[in-house]
Order: sequence, then structure tokens, then C-alpha cells
Amino acid sequence: MTLQIELAGIQKYYGGYHALRGIDIAIPKGQFVALVGPSGCGKSTLLRTIAGLETITSGAIRIKGEDITRQPPRLRDIAMVFQSYALYPHMTVEKNLTYSLRLKGVARAEARRKAEEIAAITGLGQLLDRYPRELSGGQRQRVAMGRAIIRNPKAFLFDEPLSNLDAALRVHMRAEVRKLHNSLGATSVYVTHDQIEAMTMADHVVVMRAGVIEQQGAPLELYDRPVNRFVAGFIGSPAMNFVDGVVTETGDGVQLALPGDPTLAFTGRRPAGEAVTVGLRPEHLNVVADTGTGNTMRLPVSLVEQTGSMTYVVTETEPMLTVAANMSRAMLTAKSLDVQIEPANVYLFDRTSGEALKSL
Amino acid sequence: MLSSTPWKRWLLLAIAVLLVAIYLFPLYWMYVTALKTNTETFANPPTLWPHHAELKVARVWNDMGMGSFIQNSLVIACGTVAIVVLFGTGCAYGLARVRSVWMDVALFLVLMLQVLPPSLLITPIFVAFSQLGLLSWPRTGTILATAANKLPLYIVLVRAAFTQVPRELEEAALVDGNSRIGAFLSISVPLARNGILVSAILIFLQALGEYVYSRSLITDRAYQPATVGLQFFVGPNASDWTGIMTFAAIYVTPILIIFVLLQRRIVSGLTSGALK
Amino acid sequence: MLRFNRVFRDGGGFDSVLVLLALAYLVAFSAFPLIYNLVISFQSVDLFTIATFDRPFVGLENYRDIVNDPLFWPVVRNTILFVGLSVVFQLGIGLALALFFRLDFPGSTWLRGLFLAGWIMPGLVVGAIWGWLLAGDFGVVNWLIQSLGLTQQKIFWLSDPSISIYSVIIANIWLGVPFNMILLSVGLAAIPADVYEAAELDGATRLQRFFTITLPMMRAQLGAVISLGIIFTLQQFDLFAALTQGGPSNASNVLQYWSWELAFREYRIGHGSVVSVFMIIVVIFVATAYVRSTRHEHVV
Repeated sequence: MTLQIELAGIQKYYGGYHALRGIDIAIPKGQFVALVGPSGCGKSTLLRTIAGLETITSGAIRIKGEDITRQPPRLRDIAMVFQSYALYPHMTVEKNLTYSLRLKGVARAEARRKAEEIAAITGLGQLLDRYPRELSGGQRQRVAMGRAIIRNPKAFLFDEPLSNLDAALRVHMRAEVRKLHNSLGATSVYVTHDQIEAMTMADHVVVMRAGVIEQQGAPLELYDRPVNRFVAGFIGSPAMNFVDGVVTETGDGVQLALPGDPTLAFTGRRPAGEAVTVGLRPEHLNVVADTGTGNTMRLPVSLVEQTGSMTYVVTETEPMLTVAANMSRAMLTAKSLDVQIEPANVYLFDRTSGEALKSL
Repeated sequence: MLSSTPWKRWLLLAIAVLLVAIYLFPLYWMYVTALKTNTETFANPPTLWPHHAELKVARVWNDMGMGSFIQNSLVIACGTVAIVVLFGTGCAYGLARVRSVWMDVALFLVLMLQVLPPSLLITPIFVAFSQLGLLSWPRTGTILATAANKLPLYIVLVRAAFTQVPRELEEAALVDGNSRIGAFLSISVPLARNGILVSAILIFLQALGEYVYSRSLITDRAYQPATVGLQFFVGPNASDWTGIMTFAAIYVTPILIIFVLLQRRIVSGLTSGALK
Repeated sequence: MLRFNRVFRDGGGFDSVLVLLALAYLVAFSAFPLIYNLVISFQSVDLFTIATFDRPFVGLENYRDIVNDPLFWPVVRNTILFVGLSVVFQLGIGLALALFFRLDFPGSTWLRGLFLAGWIMPGLVVGAIWGWLLAGDFGVVNWLIQSLGLTQQKIFWLSDPSISIYSVIIANIWLGVPFNMILLSVGLAAIPADVYEAAELDGATRLQRFFTITLPMMRAQLGAVISLGIIFTLQQFDLFAALTQGGPSNASNVLQYWSWELAFREYRIGHGSVVSVFMIIVVIFVATAYVRSTRHEHVV
């Protein structure tokens, strides 16, 4: 099977600055790929190299098996939705939508017909003759999407397209973008700094840091089996707690550097006495009635944050931990909390390199 | 900005009007003198308002041969603007878009050339033009030299306009299938249109008032512009002041009208470009 | 053609080509004359050799002639006087007006804009108008100062050798005030209001605020305006052509006008070039200061 987009060994230097350091990603047709990472990790640069807006120092970009590394953007047949939407302010919605068609020499009537069709799909029906400045943020976002869809391109690129919308609309558009992707049978690459967006929308998530891919795979694979401390901390919300610990004599438990030196069991074995960082996801810390049931610890409470559906408890420990709990209201005033965790949910990382530690 | 009581604001307005009146008195005096008869012009004490106003436009126009002067001024100004817009727009765009050491050097060069006084460059230009035989086309020579003098200012002003156009719009056009020059002409230029237009008009108005190059390069009176024409009549021994002031008024009134209509835009363009 | 196509459609060289086209034009018609001027200043050039390419080089002879010319030092003195007084008064009046029009009253922006009418006028027309205002016998300025009792006799602004330079200075101040005022207004507007409010709460009086906040925060702006003022004043030629033509008997001559007169009136082209070289060195020096001050402002 030929891949729709293939990035092989991509290197990019800005003068002396090494922005992309050997990026390999293979994207089959129909897949929705999210590039996620903190700002400055190179995810937007990578997207722009796929579009042809940036040249790469070495490596290859192939679309449908064809090497387009040195092709200018206009020959790549790729559509892009920009963070600022980049709508042409001096053109009506219709002209914005049909700009690419007109460049290809599509007849005016045909272009108009296509624009109406796209407007119907994206819910812009009555707005074709408006100018971008007369539209709301959500409508502008739809025009930007429509402008990409109308071309029926080989791939869609999204550069944080939802970051300028308010929270409620963002959640709504998330689902809508994904539905559109499915109905078009499109291939999409989506850049975001928001891991929730990446997790909820993508088939394949690529986590980047400092120009390097830290890990890529299905969203739940990244959640369940992060390869290092960075990915573990980046994926999941609220973020994973990290505590220093030491593997016990028996090699199947870890003593945490917390008050009372609690010991937690994990699945598998590690060398006795190994210094590790222990990762505990807030949602895996279950509040229990007492500490007698095994793999439990008692944590002093510092702060209780309530969102309504969930309650987050911040502990008065060093480092402080977050516990995500579904608690009865009576417990809100408790001075301390007993929590329990499944051994399978205890993650171990090398304290210096941050690599995930596998069972021996 | 600084708030004050109502009566104080009106007092300030009165002072402001007075200041403007004092400053613009020379302009007023030009128009008043142009309207006076010859005897009234030399009356003592001078009259602040013409008692027997007469319009001498037609007489001055014919006697002083203004038709040819104004026509030449327009030819020189239009030619200058054409060259400046043709060469300057793309350069301004490039300087606004690309950030590199070379572009900094280019911008520095442009800024330095902006300040060279025409009166000091005219000697070598005159010598070079006469060696090349360009003096046989004196208006063309004047246009070429004036354009070089005005080009840096235009580049600086239009560059400021291009920096206001988000780069992403052009990138969107490239991804949509346009070429570099296509995106430049169909996206960037239309969006910087106001800045380009105002700057071009400013250059046009300045070129209309150009004197040094015309005076030095054009010896045939039939090709000389209005500034050189006016200079014939003034000087230490000038006497026909009504005629001169009528000439001046006919000449500058269109300039002033264009300026007042575009005042706000010229000012904002100038202030954003000149100091950034 | 293929190469052209590549650059203009997709090339990374697109911007560079556009910039280079304009730079080539500027080099041909601005930078080259600058160099050529230097060459001519070492040559003996007169009406007969002007169109030929082989002219005798005379070394520093032209320079010696100019420096030993009895006119040289008076003209230098006039130039310094012209630039110094023009810049000081343009800046002072410009700053005062900028501060005044910053006050809150109806129509302040619009009225301020009217001052620029003076700036847009062709220099030669301004010269002509001032020539009439300052005319000896029937000029309105003389009538005004006489009726105010400031002087008994008429002042012959343009034909009195001890005064004629001042009449050009007056006209030049009039011409330069608007530009100074507008640029300084921009600088004033860029000072955030909360800084003043903070100073007021700290107990600074109006005068203290001017000296401790306005002036220091305007430093870059003032530097740029002063440099531009010097440059524009050194460029001023039209007023001399219209008002005094350097006279009477060179009493109001300045370097930029003298250079032109030497070349175009007396056909001592080599000598004119020497004066140009002196002036261009000064202009480049000031322009560097200007460009640096704008850079400085850019950073702030």
C-alpha cells in the first residue's frame, strides 16, 4: 500500500539552530494525525515543510509515493487551515472559497456552484457575499475549512485552527472537524499544543519536543505505555504525578519519598535499590475508606478544587500530588486522604534519563 | 488626553485657531495678493482684504506661459511616480518580508541614500548625463534623477504598509496554488493598496515641486517646469508681485487641495514610515 | 526565460530580485554620482572637457583652491549659522506646538494637521511668498514691525548683506516647523498615559513631569528629529534660489548653493565637486546618527 504522506529523515536548520532532527512519519490514506508538543518543539515548522512553505535541509517528503521535497507549494495539491485563518480580507466569502479554483481556471459558474455546495456542508449558506470582517470567529473558522475542502486536495494540514475560539465552540468544532474528515475520507495532519485535542481527534498522535519525535502511536497507546517521563507528563489531564522512589529489596515494590515512606507494589521486577521516578496518574489514585487494603497510602490534604463532576485534591506533600476523585461532599473537609492504586498503574522511569523502565 | 474644564477647552481652541492663523498667514497673503489690483498691492498701509478683487488667472496664465510650465511639471511628476512605483513597490515588499543580514544592509543603504541632497548630486549627474548624451532628452534625464532621489522615501513608506499585511495570507495563497509573483500581485499589493496610493501621491506632490534637477538639466524653456518658471520672476529685483502670487496660487492650489483631502492618511503614513 | 520563470513563480530569490532591481537603480543614479563626484573633484573640468572621458587629474589642486578661496570661510560660517538657527528654532517651536496640540480641546488633531500645508508646499513657492512678505518697500512684515513700533526704518531683508541670511533662515524655520511638530507629536503620543499618572501620584508637578518623564522618554525621538532637521536644512536649496540667490555679493551663500553656483554659473565644475564632497561627508555623518537613532527606537 502506498502511503498518502511519507516523511523520511527530515532535518531542518535555521542557520546554526537545529529545528527538526530526523523526523520520520508514515501516514496512510484516511488517517488523522496530530502533531503535539510544547511551543517551540518544531511541530508548526514540520507542518510548514509538508506544505512547502519551508524548505528542508535534508530528508524527503513523499505524497502518494511521489517525491515532492523540492516542489513549490502550488504544485503539491495540499490544503492548509491557518491558526489566524488567513482569510483574504479584500475578498468575499465566495471569492475566498473559490480562490484556488479560479487559479486553476475553473469557470465562474462552476466555481459558484461549488462554493454553494461547500457553504451548505460547512453551514455558511447565507454568508457567501459577506466579507471576512463581517463574520464571527466561528464563521471565519468555517470559511477557512471550506476553502480547504473545496479543492479536494491530497491532504489537509491544520495549524492550531481552533486556538482562537472560545472554549465551548472549540469543543464543538473538534467533533465537527473530525466528522468532516471522516465523511471526506481525507488525510489530515493537525498541529496543536493541546493534548486533549490531539487525543480526542487523532488516529495517530506524534509527540514532539525540541525538534525530535518523542513517541508516536495511537492515542491510548501513548496514554498506557509512554516511553518516557516527558510523554507521560504531557499526555493525560491533569498531568501525571512524579515522585522519587527506591526499588525495595524484593524488587517488586517501590518505596516513595513521601511522609511515612509508603511502599507501592508494581507489576514486574526491577533491580533492588534502584533509584527511580514513580509516575502516578491522578485518575488512578482511588480514594478508599482506610489504608488497610494494600497498595495504599495516606496523604495530607492541602487544597480541594471542585469542577462539579470531578474533584481534584492537591496534597500537602513534597512534591505535591494531584488526586482526581469522585467524592462524597462529606469528605471535602477531611484533613487527609487514603488512596489506593492498582500495581499495573504504577509507572517507573529512570531518574536521570527519564526513559520508561520495563520489567526485567 | 489631559482633561480640562469646558471653558478652558474653548480657550485652548481659540489659541489653537490663532496659532494656525499666524502660521498660515503667508498662504493667506499669497491668495490675497493674487486677488488685488496692482495699485492696491503696493498700497501703504497694506490692505488685509482685497477691496477690488479681480481674478487674473487667464492673463497670468497666458503672459507667463504657464501652460507649458504646468504641463512639463506634470510630465516630470508622472514620470517620476511611474519609475518610483515600478521599482520601489517590489523592493519595499522584499525589505518588509525577508529578515536577513543582507536585507538589513539593503535597508541601511536605502536610508542613507534617502538623505543625499539633490543640490550636491546634480554636478556629477550633469557631467555623466552630458557624457552619455542624455541632455538631449532633458525631461527624461530630470525624471531619472528625481526618481532616484524620491525612491528611498517611497520604499521606506511602502515597506511600513507591507509589514501590516500578515504573512500568512500570502502563504495561504501559495498553498492555494498561486505563484510567488501571483500571491504578491493578488494578495499583498491589494492589501497594501492604501499605503502604496498615499505614498505615490506624496511622491507626486513632491515631484511637482522639484527644482534643482530641472533648473540644472533643462536649458530649453519649452521643457522647464513651473518651479523654474516661477524662479524667473522672483529674486531680489522682483516687482510684479500680483503676477507672481497669482502664478504661485494657480500652481499650489491643486497641491493644497489634494493634501487637505488626504491629510490624515499622509500624516499617518509619514509618521509610521519615517521613524520605523 | 526558464530561470526567470523559476524565480518569479516559486523561487526563494523572488524577494532578493525585487530588492536588487531597486538597489540597482539607486546605485546607478544616486550611489554612482556620489563616487563620480569624488572623481571629478580631483579633475580639471570645464565647459570644453565636460563631455569627454579623458580629463586631466590635478590631484588636490581643486581642494587647495577652494580652501584658499576668500569666500570659503564666510560660506562655511553662513552654513553653520543657517543649520544651527534653523534646527534650534524648528525644534523649539515644533516641540512647543506638539505639546500644545496634545492638550484636550475640540478639533486639536485636525488643526494640527493644517500646519502640514506648509510642509507640502514646493520650496520655491514658499521662497517666492516669503520674498514678497519680506520685500523692502511694500512687504507686509516691514509694515507690521513698523506699526508695532519695533523699528523706525524699513529693514531691507533681502538686500542688506548683514541680514539676508536671516531672511532665508526665517523662511526655512517656517518650512521645517510642521515636520518637527508631527514627528514629536508621534513621540509624545507613544508615552503611555499611565506613566504620567504614576508620576502624578508620586507627587511630580507638571514641570517635573516634563523634565523627568517626557524629555527622557523622547530621547530617541529627539535624536531622530534633530538629525532629520539637520539633513533637511542641508538639503535646502530652493529657498536660496527664490529669495537671495546667495546674495547680495555672497552674504547669504551657503555650501550647498555655492557648490551649485560654482558648477553651473561659473562652470568651475571641479571646484563645485569639492564643495559637494565636503557637504556629503557631513551629511553621511549625520545620516549615520539618524539611522542609528531609529534603530535604537526600534529596539525600545
